[in-house]
Amino acid sequence: MAKKYVGQRIKRNEDPRLLTGQALFVDDVDLPGMLHAAFLRSDYAHARLVSIDVSAARRRPGVVAVYTAEDMGDDWQHGPPLVSPPPTVKDIVFHSRTQVPLVKDKVRLAGEPLAMVIAESRYIAEDALDDIVVELEPLGAVVDLEEALQPDAPLVHDDLDSNLAAHLIQKKGDYAAAREQADVVISRRIVIDRGTAAAMENRGYVAHWNPKSQELTLWDTTQSPIPIRNGLARMFGLSEHQVRVIAPFVGGGFGPKIMMFYPEEVMVTWATLQLGRPVKWIEDRRENFYATNQEREQVHTAELALTRDGHILGLRDDFIHDTGAYDPYGLTVPLNTQCHAFGPYKIPNYYGDLKVVFTNRPIVSPLRGAGRPQGVFIIERLLDVAARELGIDPVEIRRRNLLPPDAFPYDNEIIDQAFVPLVYDSGNYLPVLEKAVEMIGYERFLKEEQPRLRAEGRHVGIGVVSFIETTGIGPYEGARVTVAPSGQINVATGVGTQGQGHFTSFAQIVADQLGVSPHDVHLVTGDTAQFHWGTGTFASRGAVVAANAIHAAAVTVRGKVLKLASKVLDTPEEELELVDGHVRVADIPQRSISLGQLAVLANPLRGAVEPGTEPGLEATAYFGPKYGATASGAHAAIVEVDPETMMVDVKRYVIVEDCGTLLNPLIVEGQLHGGLALGLGNSFYEKLVYDENGQLLNASFADYLLPTALEVPRAEVSHLETPSPLNPLGSKGVGEGGAIPVPAVFAQAVESALADYGLEILEAPLSPNRLFELLQAARVTRDA
Amino acid sequence: MKLQGEYVFDGPREDVWELVRDPEVLATALPGAQSLSQVSENEYEGTMNVRIGPVAGVFAGRVVVSDEVPPESYTLTVEGKGNPGWAKGSGQVRLVDQGDGTTLMKYEGEVQIGGRLASVGQRLIDSVSKSLIRQGLETLNQALQARIAAGCQGQEVNYCPPSEAEFAAAVAKDMATQAFASSPWLWAVLAALVVIVVVVVVLITRGG
Repeated sequence: MAKKYVGQRIKRNEDPRLLTGQALFVDDVDLPGMLHAAFLRSDYAHARLVSIDVSAARRRPGVVAVYTAEDMGDDWQHGPPLVSPPPTVKDIVFHSRTQVPLVKDKVRLAGEPLAMVIAESRYIAEDALDDIVVELEPLGAVVDLEEALQPDAPLVHDDLDSNLAAHLIQKKGDYAAAREQADVVISRRIVIDRGTAAAMENRGYVAHWNPKSQELTLWDTTQSPIPIRNGLARMFGLSEHQVRVIAPFVGGGFGPKIMMFYPEEVMVTWATLQLGRPVKWIEDRRENFYATNQEREQVHTAELALTRDGHILGLRDDFIHDTGAYDPYGLTVPLNTQCHAFGPYKIPNYYGDLKVVFTNRPIVSPLRGAGRPQGVFIIERLLDVAARELGIDPVEIRRRNLLPPDAFPYDNEIIDQAFVPLVYDSGNYLPVLEKAVEMIGYERFLKEEQPRLRAEGRHVGIGVVSFIETTGIGPYEGARVTVAPSGQINVATGVGTQGQGHFTSFAQIVADQLGVSPHDVHLVTGDTAQFHWGTGTFASRGAVVAANAIHAAAVTVRGKVLKLASKVLDTPEEELELVDGHVRVADIPQRSISLGQLAVLANPLRGAVEPGTEPGLEATAYFGPKYGATASGAHAAIVEVDPETMMVDVKRYVIVEDCGTLLNPLIVEGQLHGGLALGLGNSFYEKLVYDENGQLLNASFADYLLPTALEVPRAEVSHLETPSPLNPLGSKGVGEGGAIPVPAVFAQAVESALADYGLEILEAPLSPNRLFELLQAARVTRDA
Repeated sequence: MKLQGEYVFDGPREDVWELVRDPEVLATALPGAQSLSQVSENEYEGTMNVRIGPVAGVFAGRVVVSDEVPPESYTLTVEGKGNPGWAKGSGQVRLVDQGDGTTLMKYEGEVQIGGRLASVGQRLIDSVSKSLIRQGLETLNQALQARIAAGCQGQEVNYCPPSEAEFAAAVAKDMATQAFASSPWLWAVLAALVVIVVVVVVLITRGG
């Protein structure tokens, strides 16, 4: 059937509500008798809890309750592991140590909650925190990743012999043999630092246990409402039908809002169960810096073995990954790093030794990119160094190593974050790279512009990188599509929404199947009372997994519509068409019936129903891919470095993306622009700075710099479409692609701008100060 | 954070030594000091009420004096904590008789901070603390002048230390030359840093 809406640049259905302040966010939830929570947090990153006295806080007028770990009795339990480690890797070491709701014996990160105050207002609750007397015995903090593994390092978890949380080795082919044959081996130590998601909306929870109806409702900024519902029901001994989790509009997810559970999430829920009154907690920005998961810190020692003409023979990537104080998210992030170091290239031999360490810092879990930017940074940096050493153009060395279009499906022979083999489903990498090269004007820039600008004393450089992004992993999502008697189409799906445009792109899919306008498709996401099977919005999977479940349900409903209409209109199904909310006979358009009328006929109040039929025009369907769809792209940038201030100005930025079938290019481009902003932050601005005591030194937006509209360039975007063979729509994810390769292209372009100095950038993010230091060091080396 | 510097007091070394041993003088010279008491021969405890701009809280500190060589030098170890966070550190203070009736104070130490002090105030601590130390020492020097004058004339010491607001305003003036403009932020940082300086000033001026 013809696609009328899928692939169109349709403005977003949800935007009028969002832009006029009519959308419900968690903090908009205001219930009669609602109480407010505040948390006392540790000022130390590592300390033993000696005593805690909350008696004065309990006496403060307006305070309803104050709870410590001891007050929770048997309800105090560690969080469940959100993702278990892969069972299939040989000789894997994994120590699961999950977070606690309130500190009982030992503080393991600055900001970990020690006590919760429940009061009539947040003001009173915050004031009462000052009434609590805590005695903490500070311990040496584990901050540096390499020092964490030293034998004399303090232990984050006393019951372990070391701070090693996990160790695994993945291999493909025979790297050692490949190294023997290589003409050149590039080896570098590469460091990637920590950043935060900095979502516009912080976390928030409103929990309400109604003692009369025996029902628990939780409004939650989570990206995964269904697992949260299931987990809370299990934790508190309730039936899943007694628990409703609603993730309304959420002002940015970016990954850290998938967690099971954040301490505050458990505590607010537990408190309403004790008190029978609604309890609200909204995270403030400083808490967000301490108490919401972060990502990215890794220390790599990586090696690339190549032939003289630049063909990759093998990659070795040994690295230490920081998981923070606990590891509920298993190995998702570092496995992504391992996988994405393969890039779009043919790498026949690989050896990767991964060590995960506990440190006294916030928990690490996926953050838009989720280990992928690190992997891309590794392979792209090594290729750039190799290109320089071999005297090959950086774009040319990439061309020589890209997988050819007939290589798919391509098995990289290691396992990915979904614990299945890393297989690239489809791709066509060279045209993507060439398109970016053409758009940025690569050859002309190098031959004409750069020499001219250099002669003027300006430092302007260019960078081009290729990357792949594994997206759309399983296990599954589901959806229910219903034709209402009004003719409106109702769709319910389990994934939550945090700004991805689900209300539009999902509506476009349904609209094409049922012959309605996308505006007539009403979508509910993230409400477990509406749909209660699924996992959540993460891993760039909404447009793959949820979209295909919606597609499948819409196809089934279309079948039901046609079947019933065929009977009513006394016409064979093949002669019917769905147009403008009606089913009509193709040759005689005036013979038609509206979808609403059909819906009424499908749900009769009298008469006999034929055996084996179902009432209504409704279908529920699920979709689970065999493995993830692999998107690809190329980014190119021209940057200018100011030699006085070391500020880097991104003068042009080109993104060529292949995310399979485009559902809505406007939304895809929105994702790319937003991703670029984060990627630029991870390149030059956003770095969480910790001192040796594990104290975060820049917990405010005055010190933690987010790129603003002034720093983020307007990206020039182009699309290629290589549909995924793994799903009927042919879609691949794009939620993270905008962010993933930015530090790599930024580093290459800055090196190009400062080529006279032979600067090598082996870290992300940079900053003007850091760039100055690197340049000074390069000058010393050059002049020596 | 490393702290080091020098300051010249307009008075003889013995008078300076005596001044920095007097908890009452110090208590009045420090903004927001609620109490400062000697708990043993070499140990002092104090609480300071910090209330500037949006940050308010009580900071409780403990100072231990060691390696005392009157009137030349001593080592201080200080620990403080409260709502704004915690600080601990140690430092050495030396008084040098310059032979012209003035005394040179040299101080050198290292302070570690945590909590809101670290997470909100860190970037500006270096420059703000220098200014705050200067203000604190100048206040002490004025107290010293008042003492010397009173001593000459056989009168009661008649010295009115600057108020908390005056103290902060003077620091703010110092900081106005720094490259940050937003005044609410300035006050937030100042508030956090006055706490630091209280500790620091105690650290550099308390003699056993």
